[in-house]
Amino acid sequence: MNEEKNTQFSGRGVMKRLLSYLKHFKWKATAAFLALIIATGADVLGPILMKIFIDDYLTPRRFPTEPLVLLGISFIGVYAVSAMFHYIQVISFQKIALNIIQMMRVQVFAKVQHLGLRFFDQTPGGSLVSRITNDTETIKDLYVTVLSTIVNSTIMMIGIFAGMFFLDVRLALICFILMPFLLLLMWAYRMLSSKVYRVTRVKLSQLNAKLNESLQGMAMIQAMRQQKRLRNEFGKINNDHKKALLKSVRLNSLMLRPAVYSVYLIGLIMILGYFGVQSFDSVVKIGVLYAFINYLDRFFDPINQIMQQLTIFQQAMVSAERVFGLLDDKRLAPVQESDANPKVSDGRIEFRDVTFSYDGKTDVLKHISFTANPGETVALVGHTGSGKSSIINLLMRFYPIHHGGIFIDGQPLTAFSDEELRKRIGLVLQDSFMFVGDVNDNIRLSHHEITDEQVQAAAEFVQADRFIKKLPGQYQEPVGERGSTFSSGQRQLLSFARTMALNPKVLVLDEATASVDTETEEAIQTALAKMRKGRTTIAIAHRLSTIQDADQILVLHRGEIVERGKHQELLQKGGLYFTMYQLQHGKGSGKAASVSP
Amino acid sequence: MRIFFDLWWFFKQERMKYGFGIIFLMLSSFLSMIPPYVVGVLVDDIRTRSLTSMTLIRWILFLIIIGIIYYAFGYIWRQLIFGSSIILANQLRNSLYKHFTKLSPNFFQKRRIGDLMAHATNDINAVQNAAGEGILTLIDSITMGGMVIVTMSVLINWKLTLITLLPMPIMVLLTMHYGNLLHQRFGKAQAAFSGLNDKVQENVSGVRVIKAFGEEKAQIQLFRKASRDVVDKNIAVAKVDSLFDPTITFIVAFCYFLALIFGSVFVMQGSMTIGGLTSFTLYLGQLVWPMLAFGFLFNIVERGSASYDRIRRLLAIKPEITDQKGASEDVPSGAITYAIKEYSYPGNQAKVLSDIHITVKQGQTLGIVGKTGAGKTTMLRLLLREFDVIDGQISIGAMPIRSVTLDALRGAIGYVPQDHILFSATIAENIAFAKPDASREAIERVAKLASIHEDILHFKDGYETVVGERGVTLSGGQKQRISIARALLADPEILIFDDSLSAVDARTEVSILHALKHERINKTTLISAHRLSAVEHADQIVVLDEGKIIEHGTHEALIKKNGWYAEMYAHQQLETIVSKGGEKG
Repeated sequence: MNEEKNTQFSGRGVMKRLLSYLKHFKWKATAAFLALIIATGADVLGPILMKIFIDDYLTPRRFPTEPLVLLGISFIGVYAVSAMFHYIQVISFQKIALNIIQMMRVQVFAKVQHLGLRFFDQTPGGSLVSRITNDTETIKDLYVTVLSTIVNSTIMMIGIFAGMFFLDVRLALICFILMPFLLLLMWAYRMLSSKVYRVTRVKLSQLNAKLNESLQGMAMIQAMRQQKRLRNEFGKINNDHKKALLKSVRLNSLMLRPAVYSVYLIGLIMILGYFGVQSFDSVVKIGVLYAFINYLDRFFDPINQIMQQLTIFQQAMVSAERVFGLLDDKRLAPVQESDANPKVSDGRIEFRDVTFSYDGKTDVLKHISFTANPGETVALVGHTGSGKSSIINLLMRFYPIHHGGIFIDGQPLTAFSDEELRKRIGLVLQDSFMFVGDVNDNIRLSHHEITDEQVQAAAEFVQADRFIKKLPGQYQEPVGERGSTFSSGQRQLLSFARTMALNPKVLVLDEATASVDTETEEAIQTALAKMRKGRTTIAIAHRLSTIQDADQILVLHRGEIVERGKHQELLQKGGLYFTMYQLQHGKGSGKAASVSP
Repeated sequence: MRIFFDLWWFFKQERMKYGFGIIFLMLSSFLSMIPPYVVGVLVDDIRTRSLTSMTLIRWILFLIIIGIIYYAFGYIWRQLIFGSSIILANQLRNSLYKHFTKLSPNFFQKRRIGDLMAHATNDINAVQNAAGEGILTLIDSITMGGMVIVTMSVLINWKLTLITLLPMPIMVLLTMHYGNLLHQRFGKAQAAFSGLNDKVQENVSGVRVIKAFGEEKAQIQLFRKASRDVVDKNIAVAKVDSLFDPTITFIVAFCYFLALIFGSVFVMQGSMTIGGLTSFTLYLGQLVWPMLAFGFLFNIVERGSASYDRIRRLLAIKPEITDQKGASEDVPSGAITYAIKEYSYPGNQAKVLSDIHITVKQGQTLGIVGKTGAGKTTMLRLLLREFDVIDGQISIGAMPIRSVTLDALRGAIGYVPQDHILFSATIAENIAFAKPDASREAIERVAKLASIHEDILHFKDGYETVVGERGVTLSGGQKQRISIARALLADPEILIFDDSLSAVDARTEVSILHALKHERINKTTLISAHRLSAVEHADQIVVLDEGKIIEHGTHEALIKKNGWYAEMYAHQQLETIVSKGGEKG
């Protein structure tokens, strides 16, 4: 919704920006270009050598050995040079293209790393992934196939014309008449094909959407006995798609190879006519005629190639526009706003009259003020949507604050460097995200200064080592996608270890609601208690039993702190906290306690 | 080449198109033999200066006519052959879709939608390619290649033909070798790319952890490495890919070289003219494509074959739930009786239900409650025959549900599932999903019953508002109520609510339940719920725990019993208070 639409690109702007990447490869591109010119030069030279052979030796039937051997060697040599330099040239251009894409990808990815959570809240993950990988892949096609084909073909055509002019200026000029026809053909094809192509793409995406939706909702379709109707609907879209494809086949057969072949024939007729008429009153050099026909033969290959690439071009421009849109996105993550570089020493956290809204309309936090003294635990309780998570999000500097302030050891949150904050404030999230790698990697992350011993100490500290040691690979046990081979309790313990390995001053806990087996649950609770010791802790608690010893409990409702105090005080008050406590502990057993509101 | 036999049924079906397509393709190849011949004749005439303007004009006119016919033929065979391959893709896609509509839920649970989509897109494309491009390369490499060689040997000089073609097999072998290499490396490049995709996917889903631990730089580093890997694998592809053109150029040049050397000898001997030599080299140029086509052919055929096998395997999967032989087509009616000894999902040992024996009289409402995973949804899905009970049976009236057709059974039942699936269509179309010809009045009536009418009127386009992926986003409660309206429209005798009131607020729930009561006299309703208020007024309530009925009775009876139900009821009352911020009521 909120995408920065103000940066509208014209096709030319996008193209210019795409080409601007070339400047990083100036020398390589120049070298590749040089190789291309040498290769093309050799290509053009071939027919000229044949012409010399035909006109100087074959026609007059004169066969001196030495010049002929020389001619033969140069002929083979010229083509060997052409083959070699073409290979060098193509590889170089491809390398440049791939490196440009690499550069662009890293740029986009790095950009995304610096975007704020606001951006991630507003952008579906799937489309973001697709921009970083698929869209850049389409741009790769533009560079690798379209641009290199166009450069190659253009140079080849220029070379061929140069050869023609060298051989016979008048005929070369006559052949030049073909150019406008060809350009017209290309232009017309581009116009017509872009329309047909767009329709085809739209139909294809409709087809895929219908299929995808049907596969997802098949149970519903069957329960409502709509199979036949849906089959018909799908059949209709499928037919539309077929019609669009047939149209593009028709267009291609009218305007691509057969049409280009016709222009070739016209060229051939022109050359034959020219020499034929000439032969009426003078001797014609057959070698020149031969070379011209040979050139003509090669001239149309580049044309065919360029025309076939035109459709990719359109698609790549759309992708490029999307990628550049992402690169220009302004929703950056909050960063350090001064260069004082204060350090977190004691870990005193203070919220002063913080009011916050994600969308700028509804306030999810209203006038929140509290202080957590060094080593104290502040617990946040309240039902879903009361604002607990927002407090944590702000303390982690995931979102910028506009009203009020957050202070650590008396310094504003915005004054700290990212590094200091991330090292000193340890966050334990509800869903314990695991990275692909091994257990070690998941505890250490990218902090190479943490030794294996420290990793193990952290795991022991949170009692994760007990299950890690039972794994076949122990600390080297591989962790698959999202850590799915581990139970949710084990994942939690690992994420505790990850936090403890950094030995933070401040602990931010978002207690998990997911139920785990009793044994793991015990381990988790023991670990949490140990972790909190000596650290300022801000904890979201779902189970009130785990925070009875908190120094301060804040009860939130609709973004406001409605009650605050210690456990016993709040119970005596008989307010919201009391009801919540009853909810979890009342009526004897805790059987129902796992059901969250 | 097996793919051509596998697709024989289709070639037979479209025999006219393929027959004429191939004939016109061969005629085109034949026509393209003519211009080089004309060039040869004219070159000789020009050299000997025996050309008259009449002959020149005649030959040129001839070429023009050839050009026009060639253009027409080229158009025709492309239409016929490529057109047919598109029809094949269309047919395959339709039969896949049809097959999907017949398969049972278990299939969709086991297979990933992404994979199924891939079969319907990539695999079908590969088969389409085999039936189009594949036929073209097959015919072209054989006929055009053959024709060029025959023309060269018969019309010009068979000895020269033989000598000149000596390097050609090397080219074919080399390009085929490149093709294989390319295929392998391309596979690796694709794998690297999908690895990159996974990396980005992980990064995007783990964004909070990454930010919390300041992992951004490390992630960029990892990404740089992964995308470098993609680049390297792609360069490996490029290294092979770039070999094709230079190899072909060089070998063809060598052929030209041979043609010129030995051609000159033959010209000297007088067994050949210079014009003949010119035509000969032009023919040589025309031989390149059939040779290449021969190499492409193998690749196309191989991919087509593999894809067609996958499609066939998919089409061979039998639906697990089918109509019994002689099943009645009458829509069943009457009391619902569950008599299940035990049930576990196919391929799974764990018992999901055991000893379920209850009867719901026609017109009654049954409430099913219990913890997540207690078996509530399973009970309902078994009634719909999404799965079949083996140990026991369920009947409606006197008919066991397996003795009627699936169509008849589902005709008796309206179903509001847990996850509300709406389709990309207007709201009206979504409500009328089971009854597409329903009048607007009927649609609005059920929308009112489901308390969604007012919401719909608030949308910009009212009932014509498009929902689903491309349309407006609805809240969970709105989706739920639309899917309730959808089930109500069919006015079925049995209505199933699978936790379908979870996302609506208490007041709306009351009004929907109230409307149902009035609307559905003499009709049976099955409601499963987490929130007990949804089943409070049911005629009977069962409490499930680990697949067994642990409590059974009316609301009042269960409260009196002071068991799980009563405890849960009190608990939920407290919850209500908490969510209101502590105010009672």
